[in-house]
Amino acid sequence: MGCEVIVAGGDPAGVAEVLERWEQAFSLFRPESELSRVNRSPARVLAVSPLFAHTLRVALDTAADTGGLVDPTLGRGVGEVLLSGRMLSRPPGLAFDLNGVVKALAVDDAAETLDGPGFVSVGGDLAVRGPVDVGLPGGGAVRVVEGGLATSGTATRGPHLVDPVTGRPSDSPWQQVTASGVSCLAADVAAKAGFLLGERGPEWLDERGVPGRFLGRDGEVVENEAWAGSVREAATCT
Amino acid sequence: MAKESRIERARGRARAAKTAIGALGLLVFGVAFVGAKTHAPGHTKGQATPLGAPSSFERAVHNSIAKGGQIAPAVQPPPIVTSTS
Repeated sequence: MGCEVIVAGGDPAGVAEVLERWEQAFSLFRPESELSRVNRSPARVLAVSPLFAHTLRVALDTAADTGGLVDPTLGRGVGEVLLSGRMLSRPPGLAFDLNGVVKALAVDDAAETLDGPGFVSVGGDLAVRGPVDVGLPGGGAVRVVEGGLATSGTATRGPHLVDPVTGRPSDSPWQQVTASGVSCLAADVAAKAGFLLGERGPEWLDERGVPGRFLGRDGEVVENEAWAGSVREAATCT
Repeated sequence: MAKESRIERARGRARAAKTAIGALGLLVFGVAFVGAKTHAPGHTKGQATPLGAPSSFERAVHNSIAKGGQIAPAVQPPPIVTSTS
């Protein structure tokens, strides 16, 4: 997937096998991947694999959940995509970008192979089995007790997150947004949405009970109430 | 005259009977017509509503993807760092 993979508590070969399966299906850099073939196809209706159908369903649900912030069509017509079982209908020429969910789904899938306590991290997005302490952007650390943790932003690859409303790279005031979710997918979706929403990000995550930590361009760290409350409550209990 | 009078009365009764039968026929037809329109409609009487569940119900049971995980203060040096990739 073009990024660092770290595994603890499991068989690295097993994890690599799972990640390779996702790469084979969804890499935009492999012409033979299913995603590349679907995007090249001029057909309006076509049958896709169960894995592709499941992933696209998750991506469409994510678009609905986030009000179109994380959109597999990048704002080009998610409402015109119909998926019934394995049958996909979309306007001819409409290409999908499933990067918004594929990496996180792959991490969650790979974490299923862990034998016991441990974690799988792909490019800094991770799913844990049992508590794991994780370093945070800009300094500090947090213990991920359950689920996943993911960070989105412009620190590494520049302004690559596209705002579906404008169709242009996001002009978010945040440098990096870290979110905690029940899974790596939940965390990643929350982090992306929090980043793209800009100033409204912390409140949006709070409305959903999602802990979020926002690193501003000036280096200032903002924690939403869910994040601060989780850490404070846990500190009081221990 | 008396004979004519009887004939006239008979004609009157016949007219009344015809009128009553006609009115009764119209009434039965009207009732049957309204009943048929009400209970066996051939087309929609109002605005069509979707067959799916109401949106309020869907919102209530919708399983949101973005759900928060569980975090706590770190207690040891982290073996891993989260970051953008």
